[in-house]
Order: sequence, then structure tokens, then C-alpha cells
Amino acid sequence: MLLKSEVVKRNNVNVIGSGEKTVLLAHGFGCDQNMWRFIVPELSKHYRIVLFDFVGSGQSDVSQYDIQKYSSLEGYAQDIVDVLDALEFEDVTVVGHSVGSIIALLACIKRPELFSNVAMVCPSPCFLNLPPDYFGGFAKEDLEELLNLMDKNYIGWAEYLAPLVMGVNNQSALIGELSDSFCSTDPIVAKNFAKATFFSDYRGSLKALTHDTLIFQSKHDSLAATTIGEFMDSELPSSSLKVIDAEGHCLHMTHPNEIINPLIKFITND
Amino acid sequence: MTDLSDEEAVQKAYLVDSFPCGAFVTNQAKTILYANAYFSDTLHWDINQLLGSSLDTLFTLSSKIFYESYVVPTLLHQNQLDEMQLIIMNGKQERLPVTLNARFDQNGLIYWTFFDATKRDKLYQELISSREQLQAQAQKLSALATTDELTGLLNRREINRIAEIAIEQTKRSQNQIVLMMVDIDFFKNINDTWGHQEGDRVLKELGALLNKSGRKTDYVARFGGEEFLIILSDSNKAEAELFAKRLHTLIATVIVNQLSVTASIGVTLSDGQKSYETLCHEADTALYEAKDNGRNQTHFYA
Repeated sequence: MLLKSEVVKRNNVNVIGSGEKTVLLAHGFGCDQNMWRFIVPELSKHYRIVLFDFVGSGQSDVSQYDIQKYSSLEGYAQDIVDVLDALEFEDVTVVGHSVGSIIALLACIKRPELFSNVAMVCPSPCFLNLPPDYFGGFAKEDLEELLNLMDKNYIGWAEYLAPLVMGVNNQSALIGELSDSFCSTDPIVAKNFAKATFFSDYRGSLKALTHDTLIFQSKHDSLAATTIGEFMDSELPSSSLKVIDAEGHCLHMTHPNEIINPLIKFITND
Repeated sequence: MTDLSDEEAVQKAYLVDSFPCGAFVTNQAKTILYANAYFSDTLHWDINQLLGSSLDTLFTLSSKIFYESYVVPTLLHQNQLDEMQLIIMNGKQERLPVTLNARFDQNGLIYWTFFDATKRDKLYQELISSREQLQAQAQKLSALATTDELTGLLNRREINRIAEIAIEQTKRSQNQIVLMMVDIDFFKNINDTWGHQEGDRVLKELGALLNKSGRKTDYVARFGGEEFLIILSDSNKAEAELFAKRLHTLIATVIVNQLSVTASIGVTLSDGQKSYETLCHEADTALYEAKDNGRNQTHFYA
């Protein structure tokens, strides 16, 4: 097992707030723990909050980056397990955004005793269209093109990137604010994470999640259509689905007030 | 058009139709308000059909994602965007790589220009492939240069390099660095009696066992023929004793002609003040003590 100090440095772990209950927040692709800043003030009044960056994101220790390990989401799930093991926290509610939800799911399956329940913000178990039964929203060609554009716009990634994807019809001031603190990402690392995110298919793992699960879904989300939320809700053994009338893929940033109360209710009822 | 003067032509904005690049205007609702003749002449679009439609008509799905997550934030921050590569659709629904510039005006309109980047895209692709190839090669070469081929352990050169770093780190820590020289007993007999293939099997098996025996922060190298060097960084004498005991048990699981293989181990410790050369010498001296005392045992340098 890794030492606490090693993991804290590696994953830029921050523990704030207090409460009997512990909540770990797992960010998604293209961002870091900062993306939780609109719900953390309220959450930390009730719970002990664990914030961290996946290795390769935000202020994590990039020297610990292993291209092999982090080429699949299981590698990222190990980060969550390592953080909780190092802090010796158990019975934790894990809240994930987008791919962070699927990583949380994998961590829950791997080490169920560490977790009490899971909340997912805009998750998708598979972005690919796999006709005739499943439509993740993207043809393989589209996703390959997306990764290709990441390569071709290499330099741009270090500047502004709104956490994928904000929804353009949100107020421009909001988008400006949200993209203001873009977490600079190493392009190679970003691409590896993108590959692991967009080409994965974890539909088969959904049935293995025994924990209570709350899914927040955005009504208009170009990365995850409402049908995907419905699919997850039907596959997960113990879940409920809450659709928010919103645009974009980042409800916890664009609509924090809509999700905070249901989230607290879910965590507390446990 | 011929009866217009040059000035009038400019005024009537015909000029922009003559440039060999695309130009168009959108608003924040993503509606296309203007498109120059490049769209009809080169991209096979019906301009009338294009005007009033959404930018999504022109952009592929991946370009749309880039628009939402990158183009809009950049325009909001900087009011302009340079050399963005995206993929657009032409009127025949074919994908075309383009390099775009865009500017945001005070009324919230976005003015776009772009040129066909098909050839440039090919060049970028070649560059990316070369970069990936180089990275893969560098990784392979570095593995080759640092690994012992037979056992998969670190080679002598690599452990020498690592040892110097570990000694430096020990100076700053409270703990000690441990050097263990492990030598298989009567290895020459194994080779002579059962052949080199059998000798290689023993080395390989032992290598795999040693590799699994340590902590993540320990280093195991094949130092010479049947000699292994293990460095425990951040350790102490009690840990080293325990570790050596475990090693003897592990080594005994390697069997030659129904008999357990044994090894002798020489150990030395330092707080980081001794040189690597000295430590190697001390471990070696301790190893010979272990051999002289009857083998299959550990001796600590004193």
C-alpha cells in the first residue's frame, strides 16, 4: 500500500469540511477538482469532503503518470481506491462527473466495502453507437475525428477549455467564468484520458454495482442524451434518475442549485 | 459586375466573394447570417439554403464539441481565435479539414475565415505519427538499456545509476540504505552438471522471485553471472535481517535435481555517508564471509 503522504501528493488530495459522513468528489475529463467549487461550499457544511485530481490532471504529480495504467478507466479507479485506503476512510459517498461516474462505478465494484452509495452527474457508460441496441451518441468515425482534432489543435489545449461540454446557450458570462480557471493539461495525457473515456464500453459493469445510485441527467446534453440516463437507470440494480431541465454536460457547474438539495438528501438518507 | 468601378465593387462587398478562402458570419445562437461565394463555388453549398441554418449544418459532431468546449470560451476571453483546425462538411456531405480564424464583435456576431487544410492536415498527421514512433522507440530502447535480458531485472549499469541517486536521498532521510549481494551457491556445478539451459532456468526463476520479493521502492538487479544486487532504500537493519531470511526461504523454492537451490548473502548498511563503491566492496566482503562460513546464509558487514 502507498503511504498517505505519497498519495496526497500524487493525487493532490484535499480534505475539507467536517461531518460524520465522508463524500469523495471525482472529476471528469478535461478538468480537475476545481470543477466542484460551486457545490463544495454547501456540501462541506454537512460532510467531510475529499477532493483530488486524477494522475495527469490538475495539480497531480505528473511524474507518477503511467501511460499504460491510465489508458483504461480501471487505472483511474485505482486512484480513488488508493486515496481512500491512504486516508483510511470507509463508508464513503462517491460523486462522479461524466467519466468520473464510471470510474467511481469501477472503484465501487473493485472495493465495495469502501463505499456506501454513488451519485453520478451526466454519466455515460459508452459513447459509441452500437446499433441496433445502443446509441451512445457517436459513430466511431466521430470519436476518432474528435481525438484527431485534439492532436491537431495541440497548443490550444493549454489555454481555455470549458469542461466538456458546457452547453453554448448558457449565458456567456457564465461560460466565461467557468472556463476562466482552466486546468492546464498535458496534451499527451489529455489524449490518453480522452481515448480511455470515449472508446470505453462499461455497459456490462452496470449490473454489478450493488450500491444505491442517484443519476443526474441534463435534458439537453450533446455528450449524453436522456436515453442514456434511462438506459443506466434500467441497468443499475438500485438506482433513481433525476432529469434536470438544462443544457450542457456540467450540471454541477451550470445548475448547482438544482442538484445540491437532492444530492444532500441522497447522501444523508444513505 | 463589369459596369461597376473597383470602388463600387468593394462597397458592394463583391470582393470578398473573389477571395480563395471561406468567409462567413454567425450569431451567438449559431445561425449562419452570411456566407461568401466560396461556399457555392468550391464547397458545393446552396448559399440560400445555408443562410438562416445552424452552424451545426456546417460542423461535424467533433467540431461541434470543440466549438462548445473551446471556441466559445476562447472567443469570450480573447475576442478572437487563431489557427483552429476543425472539420467542416461541404455541400456533398464530405468532410474537409480547415484552418479557421474567428473574431467576436461587440454585437455578439462571430466573423469567420478559413482555408482548406487538406495538405497541411496530412503533414500534421505525418508529424504525429513520427512523434508516436519516436516515443515508442525511445521507450523500447530505454527498456533495453536498463534491463537484463535473461531475468528481466535491472542490469548492472542501471542499478549503478539508481544507487547513486538512492544514496543521495538517504542523506536527507532518517533511515538507512541497505545493499545486499546475493550469490547462488555452487552455480558452476549446476551449469557443468545439468547444462547452461538449466543454469539459465535457475537464473530466470530466481530473478522472477526476487523481483516480486521487494517493496515498490526496492531495486533488484542482476549484477554479474549468478550474482544479484538488491538495494533497499529507506530501510534499517531489522528490516534487512527479515528480508534476508525471506530471501533464503524464497530461493529454496527453486529446485534443481530435486534439491533446493541455496544462496549466500552479504549485506551492508549506510546512512548515506559512504560512497557506492565502498558499499559494494563491503557487501562483497560480507558475501565472502557468508561463503567461507559454509554458504546458504547471510552475513552482515561489520
